Amino acid sequence: MGTLGRTRPTTLACGEVRTCLLPTSQALDLRAAGHVLRLRADERVLASERPNLYALSPDTLMGVDCALPASNGAKVRAVGTVVARAALTEGRVLQAGSFFRVPDTGPDQRQPWGHYLVRPGVVEPLGKLPAQAVAEGLLKGGRPGELDPGLIAEGLLTRLLRHPLLDQKSPFKSRRTRLRWVALPVPDGHGPSIDFTVAEDDLRTVRLGIPEGTDQTAVVRLCEDLALHDWLLTTLVRMLDGSRFGSADGPMAVLALRPAVDHLMHLWMPRARVDRKLSALWEALEERPGFSRQWHTLVQRIRDQMALQAIPLLREALTAR
Amino acid sequence: MLVFAASDKGGTGRSVTSANLAYQRALAGDDVCYVDFDFGSPTAAAVFDVPGELGIDEGGLHTYLEAGTGEPARVDIWAHTLHPVLRNRPNGSGRLVLLPGDASGGEFATDQDTLRRCVDLLLRLNSEFDVIIVDLSAGRSYAMDMVLEATAQPELRSVEARWLVFHRWTRQHVLAASGLVFGEHGILNGAAAGLHDKDTLRQSIRFVRAAVPDPESALWSQVSPAQSVWMQRCDDYLRQLASDRKIGDSVVLGTVPLEPVLQWREQLITEEDVLSTQIANKETLEALEELARKLTDDAHWGQP
Repeated sequence: MGTLGRTRPTTLACGEVRTCLLPTSQALDLRAAGHVLRLRADERVLASERPNLYALSPDTLMGVDCALPASNGAKVRAVGTVVARAALTEGRVLQAGSFFRVPDTGPDQRQPWGHYLVRPGVVEPLGKLPAQAVAEGLLKGGRPGELDPGLIAEGLLTRLLRHPLLDQKSPFKSRRTRLRWVALPVPDGHGPSIDFTVAEDDLRTVRLGIPEGTDQTAVVRLCEDLALHDWLLTTLVRMLDGSRFGSADGPMAVLALRPAVDHLMHLWMPRARVDRKLSALWEALEERPGFSRQWHTLVQRIRDQMALQAIPLLREALTAR
Repeated sequence: MLVFAASDKGGTGRSVTSANLAYQRALAGDDVCYVDFDFGSPTAAAVFDVPGELGIDEGGLHTYLEAGTGEPARVDIWAHTLHPVLRNRPNGSGRLVLLPGDASGGEFATDQDTLRRCVDLLLRLNSEFDVIIVDLSAGRSYAMDMVLEATAQPELRSVEARWLVFHRWTRQHVLAASGLVFGEHGILNGAAAGLHDKDTLRQSIRFVRAAVPDPESALWSQVSPAQSVWMQRCDDYLRQLASDRKIGDSVVLGTVPLEPVLQWREQLITEEDVLSTQIANKETLEALEELARKLTDDAHWGQP
């Protein structure tokens, strides 16, 4: 994908999703989720119960006028609006994300705000866009003062986490993850492509190649779905990493893993809301690195341990008769 | 759990002792974060032996609170320490993360925006770490007022917060530590008045006696009988004074013996220091371990 993008006019789409556990003792029901995600008074929160409980906030817009990060140091000023929105899955996992599109060229002069306001989610470069360099720059993260979708997502997340409906009593400690993504078009006749990288401890980067005409919302949903499942996997791996399975404190370890059973294990549902045209990308990730394969192995391991620890209890109960 | 480390005077060993507590909790398997709110002199990096001894150049806590950055810088201590023992992170240990102060920090007045950012930061850290140790500047500082106000906000009310007040074992220090908590302008009557329920807050405050010479210790076994009697008398007097000033044994979480390694090197005490190089006393390490155990043990908190 890296070389193909350069041969044709490109429109870049990008964003960042931050995912964390909702800091409440109980999962929120859809009604409460609706209150928390009500970012705008004039628009409703989208709620759905199938195939799992899911609530999506209305889009909010943020006006930006700043430089885009570029890996080759090019100075690209861009003006427009960035969309920020949040989603809550099963009343448990909160995600805040921001995203925007950049056309390959924009007006040479900065336009009045009215021009940008009628193009929600579009950030226009002044002049021509060096799409590859900006895509790389966005994934790497810019310098202070450059457009950073992560900062916008973080601002939204921080605001949501203060909501009075949240009792701040998380059932377990966990870390946030950040997923940065860029999407560039692929030439006609090519299928979509994906490159998923665990860049740092909590940072993942995703490069997407998307066929012309793909709905941008579908791309955003795919990235939110990826971020959700990557967070679930990361969180479960970390829980198991710290526990001492099979050692003398096995019962303690099982106790420590109880939150996984109560709050995480039922959340795995890849592609629940991904556009069918893009589900091939999920298939690719299932092949390598094999998200679901790892998840199911971990879940099985937890269940086996729970069962093992229950055997002495059963024996006790039987002998006590 | 939030743990605020306070002291009335400088030189009480507040930073070095609380850093050791952070280290001990991490060894016990907790995910621990050490927040350097000692804005006047950020020294935590030196204690943990990570680069940036006098605070970092930009992006530290000071910059964050003044809205200069979206998130304050973090240092993974296991990964970045230059300390040869700490670099081998023990199996089963938790995370140990430092949020450093800025080199050019200094005290600053708190406005609503700073307060908001402080609350957001503590909320975020609480969702991620088992223990968050916040090292406050000595005395009634802006940092102390800020965290007292922050912990009174509705979002943070349900988050467990504990206070450790460090003082040395001298007349002046006992008086000062008592004044910091119970004095007219102290934590309970001044800073927290109208914000916190006085009794609840009082129950969440414990004292740590630092650099205490133990007359029974082997260290002093060679002193003359006259010195020995005198030391015992001084110790008794201080105990009486502490008790009169409401900081008697029932509200003391622990006592850290006078220890050259803590005084001079101001670093973490590892098992290596006690067992292998033997530069530190076993009693000191045991005292720190016990303090770390009691810190998270509910039995030692609440109504004394």
